[in-house]
Amino acid sequence: MAKSDSPMLLQGTLDLLILHALQRGPLHGYSIAQTIHVLSDEALKVEEGSLYPALYRLELDGAIAAQWGVSENNRKAKYYEITKRGKKLLSAEQETWNRLSVGVQRVLARQP
Amino acid sequence: MHRLFLKLFRRRSMERDVAAELAFHQAMAAAQGNPIPMGNATVIQEEARDLWRFTFVENLWRDVVYGARSLRRSPALAATAVLSLGLGIGINTGIFSLAVEFLLSEPSVTNARSVVSVRMGGSSHAKKEVVEFVRASGLFQDVVGENEEAYINWNDGAETRQIFAVQLTKNYFTALGVPIAHGRGILPQDPDEVVVLGNRFWRTRLRGDPAVVGRAIRLEGRPYIVVGILPADYRSLIGFGYSPDVYVPRYLDDTILALYARLKPGMTMGQARAGVAAVAQRLDQAMPEAFRYAEGIQVVAVGGFDRIKSETEMQTVGLFFAMLLIVAGLVLTIACVNVAGLLLARGSARRQELAVRLSLGAGSGRLVQQLLVETALLAFAGVAFGLMLRQGMAAAVEQVQLPLPLPIRLHLTLDWRVTLYAILLAGFAAVVCGLVPACRSVRQSIAPNLRREGRMRLQRGLVVGELALSLIVLTAGVLFLRNLWRSNAISPGFDIRHTIYADVNLPPQEYKDLARKRLYIGQALRELKALPGIESVAGARVIPFNAGDRFMTGLKLADTGKTVRAFFYWNAVTPEYFRAMGIRIARGQTFPDDTDAVTRTVIVNRTFAQRYLTDRDPLGRTFLWGDAKTPYAIVGIVDGTKNLSIGEDPQPQLYEDLARIDNDRTRIAFVLRSATLPGTQLQAVRAALRRAEPNAGLEVATLYSSIGLAFLPSQVGAALLGGIGMLGLMLAVIGLYGVMAYSVSRRTREIGVRLALGADRRDIARLVLASAAKLILIGSAAGLLCAFFLVKPLAMFLVPGLRPHDPLTFAAVAALLALTGLAAAWGPARRAASVDPMISLRYE
Repeated sequence: MAKSDSPMLLQGTLDLLILHALQRGPLHGYSIAQTIHVLSDEALKVEEGSLYPALYRLELDGAIAAQWGVSENNRKAKYYEITKRGKKLLSAEQETWNRLSVGVQRVLARQP
Repeated sequence: MHRLFLKLFRRRSMERDVAAELAFHQAMAAAQGNPIPMGNATVIQEEARDLWRFTFVENLWRDVVYGARSLRRSPALAATAVLSLGLGIGINTGIFSLAVEFLLSEPSVTNARSVVSVRMGGSSHAKKEVVEFVRASGLFQDVVGENEEAYINWNDGAETRQIFAVQLTKNYFTALGVPIAHGRGILPQDPDEVVVLGNRFWRTRLRGDPAVVGRAIRLEGRPYIVVGILPADYRSLIGFGYSPDVYVPRYLDDTILALYARLKPGMTMGQARAGVAAVAQRLDQAMPEAFRYAEGIQVVAVGGFDRIKSETEMQTVGLFFAMLLIVAGLVLTIACVNVAGLLLARGSARRQELAVRLSLGAGSGRLVQQLLVETALLAFAGVAFGLMLRQGMAAAVEQVQLPLPLPIRLHLTLDWRVTLYAILLAGFAAVVCGLVPACRSVRQSIAPNLRREGRMRLQRGLVVGELALSLIVLTAGVLFLRNLWRSNAISPGFDIRHTIYADVNLPPQEYKDLARKRLYIGQALRELKALPGIESVAGARVIPFNAGDRFMTGLKLADTGKTVRAFFYWNAVTPEYFRAMGIRIARGQTFPDDTDAVTRTVIVNRTFAQRYLTDRDPLGRTFLWGDAKTPYAIVGIVDGTKNLSIGEDPQPQLYEDLARIDNDRTRIAFVLRSATLPGTQLQAVRAALRRAEPNAGLEVATLYSSIGLAFLPSQVGAALLGGIGMLGLMLAVIGLYGVMAYSVSRRTREIGVRLALGADRRDIARLVLASAAKLILIGSAAGLLCAFFLVKPLAMFLVPGLRPHDPLTFAAVAALLALTGLAAAWGPARRAASVDPMISLRYE
């Protein structure tokens, strides 16, 4: 089914991106997807099929908190906000990701 | 934690939220003409739901419901399993309750952990002044004293009886914080004539009337005001279920007291010990005695593990219970293996169901879980049944009046420890009897070509294991039965079949005078001798097995001038004693009648002569006892008796004439030799003694019943282990029967073919019996091998002369197992032989 031209996201990376997107302030699901899309220079597309389960999981883990609010076009929307716990998780995940991507790049830069 | 909280409280709103949120997302995307592809809304909702659910718990619940339904479809299996497990768990928890009561129960006082028993000078009891001295030293928060083995005469208006009293210091109840059911405890400012009643005494002798508080009862001829009644579950400081009838302030001047103290807050046992040592040194200066208080100091906790650590008798009791628990655990294992066998058979019947579920995509882990849940259901039903059994056994044990000269009441309550133990056992049972069959069923279903596992190797293996275990258990049981037999056959050294024993407790106030006591003894002997059917009557200070006074002293022999240090059991008796008790006088004679002779006379037993008087003929020799001026002459040598337990080695004994000793006691025993059955004479004996002194407390019984204490350990051991052993055998034989019956039913077709081809029916029966015999043989061999090593430590509980490695025991056990096993296989063999070839060929 995955016919998209955008790369598949690694398991766990989506959490990192969501938490990163929420750092600036509370956002609803749609704008989280949009933020990621824009920040990646339109390289990444987050499908709602993976976005919302990831949001619910993060909420259950206590990394983000949800609250109903009113959107910019005056509609009821669910806003997500990063928690203290989420911030801790974010820095830890970022650390892991940095090490991983540096490692992968190093490997790929050299001939075996 | 966070997850659980959210799940519990926000679950309801979750579904609604998801739908609304997705709608919003779609609207936004549509409004912006966004190219981000739409997912399937239903899938997202389902995923969200999965995330929010207690998946594990919900699956478990479904398994429970399903398991209960499938067990209801095979009630015979469920009943057998619950019965086996229930019996196993019941007996285990029952023994565990006994162990808890004997070993770990704490006395009914507030904060029992801070109460210690104190011994000084190596003696368990001390004078009242010593108790006061320790209390005045301020070392402890408080110090109390009690004498727990006193008898007191109680007059109920019609008759005087001896009852068990505890004499105590008046601060006892307040310092220890003893709970009271009605009224109050004794207070320090109370007068001397107050009494607190034991619950059982109050219920059985005073009809449980709460209005008795404030009234008086007559003790030792004086009115004592009842101030309070103890609760039914009261546990005394001694433990072991010892439940005296009444608690009174110390009323005899010469009563010595056991010391108990409450530690100050934060005080350690080490500090207490050091403190007691210092106090004892000052005590030695203040009240010099022949011994030193500062020696032999013991400070011991009154309950729990600390007590086990510091008392060797408790360790022996502990080891006995450990052994019992191991044996009972083996029985439970047999029960579990039994159930495992049943489930295996059922598993092969359910193979189809499991195969269907597997092919529909169920994980094999989930199926194992499902099957384990079914076993757990059985195990918990087994626990419920087992605990019911335990309640029944506990009630029975609490009702049983042990044949003991002491008031023992056990409180086998179902407390948290017992419940926890039962639950642990259930878990053990579920895993043992469930895991193997469950894994196997699932594996077989995955590989259907393994289906014809015709020989049922695993089931047979289980039965062999069961038989081996039951043989071990039976060996222990038979050993203890032989022990009982053996100890019954050991002669105590006197006649217990024709003898009546009377214990008289004279009112101490009226019998302070020695001459009055002697007068009474003479009159009582005359009254008893006049009874028809009584051949011989004697008085004695103590009767063997009920008490034993031991002396360690120097005897200075007049003829050689040498002093021998002798250690012997001492008793004072009237001349007729040896005839009444049936003790043979080997040489010499009994005490002469002339009471005014200068020389005092003694009789010794043969062990005494052999150990201390080997240099010359002992008869007629005289010696000086300690510092006394009067010489003692040996006038007779008798065969010895046992003193305290039936299994003991012969001990030196020395008898004095009861009429010549300085008798300080008001308690006298009489023994009567009856020409007829002793049980029929008890009433007449009681009446005769009543005539001699109406106000004395009386206990009259056959000697056989009153020396029950001596036989108790071997009886209890035999009853418990024999019972457990029989249960183990029964369970193993049921298992064998089950496997044989199942294998016959599976081989019906084969047997039909054999018969159709002309096999003799007797051969068929022999075939089945032979395969059973093979299982029994292997099981016995394995069991004997294990038993040989495992029963070795049991030697410490057996009478001397009975070795645990006695070949006779092993032979008896193996024969018993073989016979019952073959008997169990007989039914299936008969059924196999009676198979109708026509029907069996059409079968399947």
